[in-house]
Amino acid sequence: MIDLIPVSLRVNGVRYDIDIRPWRTLLEVLRESLGMTGTKRSCGEGQCGTCTVLIDGKAVNSCLYLAVEAQGKEIATIEGPPAGDPALQQIQRSFVSKGAVQCGFCTPGMVVATKALLADNPAPSEDEIREALVGHLCRCTGYVQIVEAIQDAARGMQDAASQMAPKGSD
Amino acid sequence: MNEQIRREFQVLGKPTPKKDAPLKAAGRAEFADDINMPGMLHGKLLRSPHPHARIVSIDTSRAAALPGVRAVITGKDFPGVRYGNLPRTRDYLPLAIDTVRYIGEEVAAVAAIDEDTAEEALDLLQVEYELLPAVFEPEEAMKPGAPQLHAPAPGNISAHTESQFGDVAAAFAEADYVREDVFETHAVKQGMLEPHACVGVWDSFGKATLWSCKMSPYTVWRQLAMGLDIKPSDIRVVQTYVGGGFSGGKQEAMPMDFCALMLSKKTGRPVKFVHTMEEVLTIGHMRHPMKIWLRTGTTKDGRILAQHCKLLANGGAYSSIGGFSIFLAGAMLNLPYRVPNMKFESDRVYTNNGFCGALRGHTVVQMCFARDSQLERIAEDLGIDPLEIRRRNALHDGDVTPNGFRINTFAFDECITRVAEMSGWYSKRGKLPKYRGIGFGCGAHLSGARLMGHSASAAEIRMLEDGTVHLTTGSTDVGQGVETVMSMIAAEVLGVEVDDVNYLKVDSAATPLDPGTFGSRVTLFTGNAVKQAAEEVCRQLAEIAGERMGVDQQDLVFRKREIINRKDERQRVSLKEIVRWAMFQQGRVITGRGTYGASEEKIDFQTGQGNLSPAYNPTACAVEVEVDPETGFVDVVGLWGADDSGTPLNPMAVRGQVIGAAVMSIGHALYENLIRVDGKVMNPSFRDYKMPQATDLPKLADFQHANVITWEPEGPFGAKEAGQGAGTGVIAALANAIYDATGVRLTRLPMTPESILFGLKGVQQQKGNRGP
Amino acid sequence: MTYLKRLPKFEYVSPRSLDEVCGLIAGTSDDEVMLLAGGTDAILQMRRRERVPRRVIGLKGVAELEFVRERADGSLAIGAMTALHTLLSAPAVSQRYDLLRETTAQIGGPELRNVATIGGNIAGALPCADLPPALMTLGARIRLSSQRGDRWLPLDEFFPEFGRTVAEDDELVAEISLPRPASNSGGTYLKFHDRHSMDMTVVGVSAFVVLDDDGRTFRDLKLAYANGAPTVFRARRAETVLRGHALTDEGLEAVAETACAESSPRTSWRANGEYRLELIRALTKRAIRLAWGKASSRKGTKP
Ligand SMILES: Cc1cc2nc3c(=O)[nH]c(=O)nc-3n(C[C@H](O)[C@H](O)[C@H](O)COP(=O)(O)OP(=O)(O)OC[C@H]3O[C@@H](n4cnc5c(N)ncnc54)[C@H](O)[C@@H]3O)c2cc1C
Repeated sequence: MIDLIPVSLRVNGVRYDIDIRPWRTLLEVLRESLGMTGTKRSCGEGQCGTCTVLIDGKAVNSCLYLAVEAQGKEIATIEGPPAGDPALQQIQRSFVSKGAVQCGFCTPGMVVATKALLADNPAPSEDEIREALVGHLCRCTGYVQIVEAIQDAARGMQDAASQMAPKGSD
Repeated sequence: MNEQIRREFQVLGKPTPKKDAPLKAAGRAEFADDINMPGMLHGKLLRSPHPHARIVSIDTSRAAALPGVRAVITGKDFPGVRYGNLPRTRDYLPLAIDTVRYIGEEVAAVAAIDEDTAEEALDLLQVEYELLPAVFEPEEAMKPGAPQLHAPAPGNISAHTESQFGDVAAAFAEADYVREDVFETHAVKQGMLEPHACVGVWDSFGKATLWSCKMSPYTVWRQLAMGLDIKPSDIRVVQTYVGGGFSGGKQEAMPMDFCALMLSKKTGRPVKFVHTMEEVLTIGHMRHPMKIWLRTGTTKDGRILAQHCKLLANGGAYSSIGGFSIFLAGAMLNLPYRVPNMKFESDRVYTNNGFCGALRGHTVVQMCFARDSQLERIAEDLGIDPLEIRRRNALHDGDVTPNGFRINTFAFDECITRVAEMSGWYSKRGKLPKYRGIGFGCGAHLSGARLMGHSASAAEIRMLEDGTVHLTTGSTDVGQGVETVMSMIAAEVLGVEVDDVNYLKVDSAATPLDPGTFGSRVTLFTGNAVKQAAEEVCRQLAEIAGERMGVDQQDLVFRKREIINRKDERQRVSLKEIVRWAMFQQGRVITGRGTYGASEEKIDFQTGQGNLSPAYNPTACAVEVEVDPETGFVDVVGLWGADDSGTPLNPMAVRGQVIGAAVMSIGHALYENLIRVDGKVMNPSFRDYKMPQATDLPKLADFQHANVITWEPEGPFGAKEAGQGAGTGVIAALANAIYDATGVRLTRLPMTPESILFGLKGVQQQKGNRGP
Repeated sequence: MTYLKRLPKFEYVSPRSLDEVCGLIAGTSDDEVMLLAGGTDAILQMRRRERVPRRVIGLKGVAELEFVRERADGSLAIGAMTALHTLLSAPAVSQRYDLLRETTAQIGGPELRNVATIGGNIAGALPCADLPPALMTLGARIRLSSQRGDRWLPLDEFFPEFGRTVAEDDELVAEISLPRPASNSGGTYLKFHDRHSMDMTVVGVSAFVVLDDDGRTFRDLKLAYANGAPTVFRARRAETVLRGHALTDEGLEAVAETACAESSPRTSWRANGEYRLELIRALTKRAIRLAWGKASSRKGTKP
């Protein structure tokens, strides 16, 4: 009945020209059309946060976002850019080393949201971290290790930044 | 000696990140919903909208004619053999045939080219029902003339247990003090984030393969064989990554699993099913709602002489593991206390609700809520400090309970002391500002139960030519860290690094048979099997190395990927070299096998007598709350727990387990409630089924856990359970804290702001009546 | 029994201007077209099949509906497509409309606020929506646009009954306007929900207080409620109780009593009406006290 719409999506810096149906959510297109299954589906209504991606740097529930509306925007997922993303990698290392990963189903969404949080607020307080996570459920960890991992990632990124600074500042 | 062994650990005892964490953090771990196969179809289930009805007819023609639909099946497409957990209680069917017994029961299934089409097809299925009277409460269901759910269960009694140890009547007669209370618990869910999902392929040679996120793949394997009426050897169950389990549906074969296979058989294509969260929350396996009547007699100084408990459990429409559920409640009634005389009577009753089963802590959680709430009231009545009354009644190392539990290690007293210290109990209790309170709660758990049927675990290790280790067991990692701790045990024995051990996921075609992941059994049961398998490999390698090195094999030790002569450490050879020599020159396959629990004593499930588990884990916790007296809102401002998990083999994983368990209990106590009105779940979504979020917990500084370390002789390297016990005392601690803060004693879960606010009004009225 | 299905099939259009939007909705009915702002509720409405539109009009590309501007007369103009996140970071909002900022911060989590819009929060007409009570007490007016032209009306008059607005099928919410608050004023929004965050509001109370010049009596008090009745509403009788009086315990009791009398909260499996009334009583008093405190501490500061 209704035609496929050609769209051009930029995901992790790579352009994908695909035909999609207008009623597809971004989550469905990422998982089903582009085969990027790192972004998870769970509650389907913006409560659990497992489907979180960044759109123009902002964390968004991809289950509540039409794929056609993501056209022309920069989408970032847990898969990251082909060349790697130092921020994502730091966060991932911290999640691993602090025991913030158990079953791992909430982890991609948490990691992506952390990237947005730390880009905005490089040294969040414990309360700010918790506030940033309210749209993310985790049933395994009880959140404690996740908060600790984010604190660790923030320190790691600041250390990395301070090591870079003197060299680059002349 | 224990200390010494621990100090000598090479691998164990150090906080070790989960081996699969990097993959998961990168979004690369493949969960069942992530599987995509060429030509794969998508399945959906049609569910009953009625709590109790006879299926008169199902017309599938319109659905089958919808373009894109490849097959439609109903209960008649299956052999009609019932399957289930316990031999006495096989009452599940893959799809209902003549009767549906709860809203959400599976009636038909479709496979189509995409999910949209499959969903659309469901609307075209026409089912004619003849409505039957339904019953939702156990008291109603037991009455004469109530609607009957299952023919062989008169009075809708799904299971009944009775046990008595000691002379309860005499003990009550002797008691200085007796009190009775009634507690009510509610339906809650596992709440794992990964919905049930599976992919089925039934090939043209008659072999059926299911990929699924199962905690206990071998249970699924057997149940599939039962319900499909084919040989288990024609079925293969392959475990994917499991996005959280907490028992329940991931333990069993579910209608989706049968339908994925049957639809694959009909279409010749792989078929995938993924539940929506609504389905997950509507279908079975909630925690049993219970009414618990508890009578306790003590001496003047608060020593428990006898307990008598009567329990009524709302089982829902099917048995699941319910027979064991109520057995366990009775068996664990006393722990962690010394109760010399105890009597337990319970009924699990069928009703037209989603069925109940196991959920982290199983039925121990409800019992601990009741018992530790009541204990606090006893302490108050007798004027005894709440910690002191627990100490006076604590079980100790070496005790044997009247029902035959042999307690090897049980550092309960020390757990209480640690919690008192961490929480600042004595500086807070009775001294906190108004509407702030602190409460104590205790519990205990098993390290795996000895079951009637298959109870043993096994492990197999094969050495590879590069010196790495191929380890298989039948135990699944569901996030709790099994792959890591099993690898650590093997690495400890073989003197290699954790990363040298490759732990495979369960595949019924390749891994050893195992009952599954439940009851906190894996570290102890499977861990012992892995240890034994690794020791066997060491024995074989030492023999070969000893010969090559000209050293007595008794003198060889395995460390840092080498085999070393303990008497002259310069004499050493790499593990890899020996393995290669054995393989290439001697044509040997270096494998080791281990098993645990195979020939152990069994329990008498009629009398309840016997040592149910190899080891028992006590736990204590204190919770501090602040209550808003105008709204009833509860803020959990502090939580301090301690438990005796034996020797924590991976402290990072243990910490993750105990904190996770405590937070889940906060959710169950305060927020979560599966609300059912006439059998319909009103809140089947994460918007309304409210699990704790990051903002609902105490600050990191006020949220602590301590391990009291013991060396459990039955455990591998002294270990016991960690994942369930820690949650058992929390709910009573919260109830006791709310009482301390407000004077409102809540005996019904969940403890909602509304119940607290109206409770407060009651308390104030009482005070008013008593005059100024 | 499916609560959330996959989205129904629809045609999607993405207008670039307000005129274009008005053209697209002219002469249509709600059954045919649906406006999609952030989509955070619209997508769920469709997935629940409460709405099955033939055509969805995406508003994300209408740049002229996205603004936070201070007008010459001192009022604040907010475009309907302004995301909640943008409201939080707008300096004018933080500096002068603390009540709006505070309310917005209590809605959902970051993922939601990055997408959900102020227009969607109002136009959704949910009795539990959090912004309308705050906006009402701030004296918000809204601009409805259609091909027939624009009309302004007070937000108080926008919700005639449960789930409905007075907007015609061919109208959309285009702009929200807030008068500049008096210098000696202060407001607060208390959202009661079951957990600490992310919950639907059980009861929400917004109180906005303007002090007399002497700083000792109420010149004005505005009260509005989420989930106190089938629609968000202002408790107009309660608002008058304390006008011209000082803050006293008895006065607060009387306001709360009147507010309860004006409310008609419903009983559902989510909460009992009786309990909601208790919340209205308690939170009305608390909100007025807090707003009073803010107004007092701000007294004398330059607007
Ligand atoms: C996880 C989650 C948590 C939430 N928490 C809260 C909360 O705490 N408090 C709260 O108040 N709400 C909450 N909501 C509800 C809701 O999503 C928000 O209220 C949001 O502001 C709606 O804005 P939107 O831009 O997404 O609107 P949409 O979903 O796009 O639209 C909502 C409705 O308004 C119509 N509409 C949108 N814009 C206009 C317009 N300009 N003119 C006319 N009609 C229009 C649409 O057609 C639709 O019917 C929550 C939602 C979710 C998913």
